[in-house]
Amino acid sequence: MLRHLCVLVCLAALTLIPGKAETPAVIAIRNARIVTVSGPVIAQGTVVVRNGLIEAVGETITPPADAWIIDGAGLTVYPGLIDSLSTLGLSDAAPMGAPSPSGRRGGGPPSSSSSSGPATPPARGPEDRPLNTSYLLAADQLAANDRRIEAARNAGFTSAVTFPNRNIFSGQGAVINLAGERPGNMVVHSPAGMFLTLRTAGFTAGYPGSLLGVIAYIRQIYLDAALYKEAKQIYAAHPVGNRRPDYDKHLEGVLAAPRILLPASSPKDIERMLRFGQELKQETILYGLHEGYRATPLLKQYNGKALVDLRWPEKSRDADPEQTDSLRTLELRDKAPSTAAELHKAGVPFAFYAGALAQPTDVSRAVKKAIDAGLAPGDAIRALTLSPAEIFGVADRLGSIEKGKIANLIVTTGDLFQDRTRIKYVLVDGVKYEPAPPQPAPPSEATR
Amino acid sequence: MKHLSFFLAATLFAGADDTFVLRGVTVHPVTGPDVENASLLVVDGKIAEIGDAKLKTPKTTRTIDAKGLHAYPGMIDSATQVGMSEISSVRETSDVSELGDFKPQLRAAIAVNPASEHIPVIRANGITAAMAVPDGGIIAGQASLMHLDGWTWEEMAIRIDAAMHLRFPTISTGGFLSRTSFPEARRNYETRLKNLSEYFEQARRYQKAKAAAGPGFKPDLALEAMLPVLAKKTPIMITATRERAIKDAVTWSEKEGVRIVLAEVRRPGESLALLKQKNIPVILGPTQELPLEEDDPYDEAFTVPVEVHKAGVKFAFGSFGNQFSRNLPYQAATAAAFGLPYEEALKSVTLYPAQIWGVDDRMGSIEKGKWADIIVTDGDPLEVKTNVKRMFIQGKEVDLESKHTRLYKKYLARP
Repeated sequence: MLRHLCVLVCLAALTLIPGKAETPAVIAIRNARIVTVSGPVIAQGTVVVRNGLIEAVGETITPPADAWIIDGAGLTVYPGLIDSLSTLGLSDAAPMGAPSPSGRRGGGPPSSSSSSGPATPPARGPEDRPLNTSYLLAADQLAANDRRIEAARNAGFTSAVTFPNRNIFSGQGAVINLAGERPGNMVVHSPAGMFLTLRTAGFTAGYPGSLLGVIAYIRQIYLDAALYKEAKQIYAAHPVGNRRPDYDKHLEGVLAAPRILLPASSPKDIERMLRFGQELKQETILYGLHEGYRATPLLKQYNGKALVDLRWPEKSRDADPEQTDSLRTLELRDKAPSTAAELHKAGVPFAFYAGALAQPTDVSRAVKKAIDAGLAPGDAIRALTLSPAEIFGVADRLGSIEKGKIANLIVTTGDLFQDRTRIKYVLVDGVKYEPAPPQPAPPSEATR
Repeated sequence: MKHLSFFLAATLFAGADDTFVLRGVTVHPVTGPDVENASLLVVDGKIAEIGDAKLKTPKTTRTIDAKGLHAYPGMIDSATQVGMSEISSVRETSDVSELGDFKPQLRAAIAVNPASEHIPVIRANGITAAMAVPDGGIIAGQASLMHLDGWTWEEMAIRIDAAMHLRFPTISTGGFLSRTSFPEARRNYETRLKNLSEYFEQARRYQKAKAAAGPGFKPDLALEAMLPVLAKKTPIMITATRERAIKDAVTWSEKEGVRIVLAEVRRPGESLALLKQKNIPVILGPTQELPLEEDDPYDEAFTVPVEVHKAGVKFAFGSFGNQFSRNLPYQAATAAAFGLPYEEALKSVTLYPAQIWGVDDRMGSIEKGKWADIIVTDGDPLEVKTNVKRMFIQGKEVDLESKHTRLYKKYLARP
């Protein structure tokens, strides 16, 4: 009787706290198919995870005696997916959408012009540093309790590159792992790059009020930053007899960024932004890219890197049924998913980002579309694992199943991006999570 | 004998400038065959006689030699903001729209400024009358048919309540700054439509109350203005551009039992058969426009009039503007170049608008007894090269100088 009760209680605990982490220090997944991404697929092998890192991987590994064994028969192990452009953990940020065509509406997410704080007078020019929060670090802004983190993890994402995205110079991103009790546990690498949008200040909010103003503003900031850097160096070498340069946090952030992210969708945007990045002498990553299928030679020529939004353009569900879409729109909807295949063919480094897709099933459906449009399934997985890790300079730690890398793994019942495949386990930093089954959770008044 | 006394009466006003005879002119009555080398006699501002060269007139009658010239009826623009707006971006000069959704009591005629600089410019191309259409809200007010000459709006007004302008609610998802979802747009539309029907219901109750003339009947200016509409004396000019809105408007008008004229029709589609069946006339918007949709053929706008004509629907042209009202003849000309029979094009800026606005007993063609709203040209008035040499409105010769001609002269004289 007592035993029965105990079992019931345990079951209740399991069902009521879906996705609750267990924390064995050593885990071995054996007899599983292992997609390492960096090397050939291991048809049947073992992965050993210890202390949050991958200790060993191969066909002939014997699981250590202290390991918790997961029988991987019939299962497939992949490196955890990386969302290469997100706002996960940043509760203040808007969902990461695709830049609008021509960048007219700012090429970034919509936002309230002043998120908080007292109203500031409209900016008169670049000297007022409008829409510049380059000093913001995503790593500093993280909130571990962002509910979207668990949803993303359940979809197979173990890492994300997350950026503030409110301003023209929005701030610096961070590569984060999607689990951790405290924000500090989550950060893998910071800063990961400066997120730029081409949004204007708004109707009456002052400078810059137009796309051409935004471009001129960005250009001026980089000129100012170069001068600032030089002045600081001179002053550091000769503090005596020199007037100190004013401290400018808006430029500090710009100088600290290892690379910049610029929005681009149409071939015209792409060419402009590639040239702009080159002119600014910054390592440039373009994001959006829905019309990238028409601009692969350009991207190749400029050695561009691309983050492709998985939220493919679609007819809005609540559009006017009598509205006729232009041929151009229809073509974009039809061809956008082929961008990935075209980029791969041209040898342009690219990664996917989930963008404003909310549901895990949406992500896999979107990737499936890219696969149907010509991308090899293996390359699709790479675009969500090793490629983003390479683009953001963390391929030594993330993106593949190799000895010594961070133990971010997903264990699935079959090939990823197939309709019936389910994600059984997600390991983040070696900690195992079990995504809740897709059905809605039972009412949880007794979770305590 | 009778004729003589008629002439005698006229001579009493000898020197009155609305009595004259045009000699040697080719008359294009629009309603009938052209008359060459005619004598067109105008007495007291009305067309008295269209005779041949031998037509006898009293010696005192002013004779105007119009040899080689052509007389046409003055053109009518069926939708403008003439005189109601001078410079659209200067608020003080714009009197086109009032706040609120239902304002049937507003009369456009009163807002027309007789001294508007636009009026002479519009006249220069042969337009002698125009509908001044108020805008804003759902029922915007009364559109008035105005002569394009006069010292006061009273002198200009031909028919103050030529139409009641109603901007029919549409399901619109694309706003200027924001987009709404289709379900939301439809909810807005349904609310507005409900408000409209309720307003008509209110007007009907007022009508009954007034007929009963019971104690405590309170006159209401706005509802009072609805009575001619309910009595089908005044048509409702409904702005409806596309098929869905047109069909909705027709269904609605059937339900309310009112007479309608559709305005700014551009994409009628299948609704043309319905319009023909219900005998509903339409005012076509500017022809010289870019295609409505990105993938439309280049001549999409040019061919709307011929489609409407082929469907057997009566139509007239409106410029739906102010200063560009002067291009009205060329709107018709473009339609003619893209399939509309020439006679139809000419009638759609002369006779048809007069019929649609219920004034064809007075204007719209050169016929005996009608007003002498006449233009004398050196050619076809729909042709860009043609010059309007003289213009008469109710027989009174109108100056063809305008700001354009003044500027032309000024800069021509520059050394």
